[in-house]
Amino acid sequence: MTTHTELPAGRAPTAPGGGRTTGTPPARRRRRGAIRDRLAHFGIFAAPGVLTYACFVVAPIVLSVYYSLTNANPFRPPRRWVGLDNYTALVQDPEFLTALRVTTILTLIVVIVPNVGGLLVALLLDKRGRFYNAMRSVFFTPVILSSVVVSVIWTRLLDVDGPLNRALRALGVDDPPAWLSDPDFALYSVASIISWQMIGFCVVVYLAGLQGVPVELQEAAALDGAGPVRRFRAVTWPLLAPALTINTVVLLISAFKTYDYIKVITNGGPGAGTTATIAFNVLQTGLDGNHVGYASAMAVLMLVIVGVATAVALKILRGREVDL
Amino acid sequence: MTSVTRRKFLRGAAATLLTTAALAGCSVGPSGSGGGEAITFLTFETPNLTPAYWDAAIKRVTDKHPEIKVTKLVAPSADGRTAYAKQLLQSGQFPDVLVGVSPAGFAEAGELYAWQPDDLKDFQFPTANPIQGKYFQLPANTQTIPPIYYNKKLFQAAGVTGEPKTWDELLAAAEKLKAAGTTPFVIGGGKDGFASSMILAGIVSTDLYGDRKDWLSKRREDKVKFTDPEFVVALEKFGNLAERGYIDKNNVSRDYAATEQAFLDGQGAMYPMGNWFAASADSKQHDFEIGVFNFPTQDGKLVVPAYTGGGMIVSANAKNQSAARKFALAFQLDKEQLDQSVKADGLFPAIKGYQPPADTGPVFKAGYELYQKAVQENAVVNAFRWETADDGLLPGMADKIDAAAQDLVTGRKNAAEVATYLDAEWTKAS
Repeated sequence: MTTHTELPAGRAPTAPGGGRTTGTPPARRRRRGAIRDRLAHFGIFAAPGVLTYACFVVAPIVLSVYYSLTNANPFRPPRRWVGLDNYTALVQDPEFLTALRVTTILTLIVVIVPNVGGLLVALLLDKRGRFYNAMRSVFFTPVILSSVVVSVIWTRLLDVDGPLNRALRALGVDDPPAWLSDPDFALYSVASIISWQMIGFCVVVYLAGLQGVPVELQEAAALDGAGPVRRFRAVTWPLLAPALTINTVVLLISAFKTYDYIKVITNGGPGAGTTATIAFNVLQTGLDGNHVGYASAMAVLMLVIVGVATAVALKILRGREVDL
Repeated sequence: MTSVTRRKFLRGAAATLLTTAALAGCSVGPSGSGGGEAITFLTFETPNLTPAYWDAAIKRVTDKHPEIKVTKLVAPSADGRTAYAKQLLQSGQFPDVLVGVSPAGFAEAGELYAWQPDDLKDFQFPTANPIQGKYFQLPANTQTIPPIYYNKKLFQAAGVTGEPKTWDELLAAAEKLKAAGTTPFVIGGGKDGFASSMILAGIVSTDLYGDRKDWLSKRREDKVKFTDPEFVVALEKFGNLAERGYIDKNNVSRDYAATEQAFLDGQGAMYPMGNWFAASADSKQHDFEIGVFNFPTQDGKLVVPAYTGGGMIVSANAKNQSAARKFALAFQLDKEQLDQSVKADGLFPAIKGYQPPADTGPVFKAGYELYQKAVQENAVVNAFRWETADDGLLPGMADKIDAAAQDLVTGRKNAAEVATYLDAEWTKAS
């Protein structure tokens, strides 16, 4: 492998023996020209990706941070610099703190339930045969549905006089829960709906992980007298660590950003903020209330919280991963 | 491939990419504008206002003005049309003409054309909804919000005779209905929060605005507060209906369409809703007769909450503004269009000399008569929560009112707590 080192202008490279190289000025020009060409080539290929990333990821984040330090309101110009006032107000705002609590509870449920459910289903479906293939498709189907469609379907199913409660009444439950209109139930109902949709995703990731568990290791453990539970704990589960990492991080990020389900199913209610996530409040504050600066501060805080939570989760989960 | 050839190829590829990107950037904007005086028109769809309704309405105008080429835009949801208009404004794609979008905010920011007295000469209430002394939205129609629609069969079965005019009569009717095993009031909520706050809107409008029409203007000036006794009393009256079991608290998650259907299915006796419900009442199937009465007042005095506006607003920066204004006025004043809006959405056109078609349904006719009488007796007040001008709620507060109403219905908060919450939210919204 050769490496190229550019020297300060005016200095010629020295040979290993300490003497001057035999490179002549035209040769140096050719080499520099070649480096420039190579950089230009890299630049041209990298440019679309870099530009796209800069336009659609970096710029919006930078703009959001900027707006969060202003009192931006598109209908009340001019925009004024307010420093950290929005952040100071946010940490004292009961509505934001409630949204943070709601988002945390929702995220915990949406990370844990599909992970556990997905793992159990994947273990059941980790077999060959048409039936198992068909069942994999069945479990994956909700993942490909639009979240709005899922929300509308479940809103009807969970209606106080909907099919679920009618079935419960038929089974002798006189007063079934008001799944979406009881403030004590609504958040858990929404979290369950999201979990239901995400189980299929976890199933697929865990099934892929299970395919990567060497049969020899299972057989060796069995020969050593390990039963199914012991084999799962000692062999399968450690080797599923990468799948757990993927599922946890994907679910954590998507749950923390939840907006669409809330908008369609409960609109943040019943009542003030019982199911309003931070993302929901960002849009309400920014688009309905016109307080773009304040909403941007919420969005930036949300980004920081998600970033930190993801980094911590990755650190912990990656520590569990083993290389074969 | 030699290095020279490769370099040429790469330069060519880069040039192609940049040209494509530039052209893509230039192509932002509505498609199908065609030639002539092209304008964009933001509409919204509901069960009453279907795509066919809008297409036919646009065609009627463009048949008369073939030089105007209209590109129809549709808001993703009826309830979120104003928020969508804000997004379009922020992204530099503000439509030339918008219908049913609140002008508040847009007008103060100089984004809207201010209609001139000559533009408004054919409208019945040309001075409705002033913003800083100017008029930005065509006062095209009036909506009474809310009259109370009722199921005559259930009233009869419960022994309720006559239509309640006072608050006590309403409570007495509700008690009889409840005793007969009927849910007295049908409400909704979920993604359509307004369906939770209809009764509260009625109480505040009749109780507060009946005596102090400018109460919300005073709130904007911080001269009154939601925690003032007169507003707390209104909140208590509403919360009391839920405490007595006249409202089913389990219904606060039911969306508007399901709520309407619940009333049509006979799942409750009284349905406080905007007069646009008359269109459904007259066209959708139900096995009982529907009546309508004005929202009762404390002492029986005639006070009818209504909102006049809802018409078109025109962008101050429309490229073909003359065409946009011509289209908006032609749309709003076209007799056939007005007739269609009456039939499809139960609107009361606020156009001088307009008479609704003779073949409208009985529920529409009954509601229209109630409104005409209120106009004659000068008994019309603003409909609380629905105002859009200087005397309206601050941006974002309507959702808070809906949430507050749900908290009262579910018993999560009492009237005093809700009033404190509303004042806190008002401060944040200011």
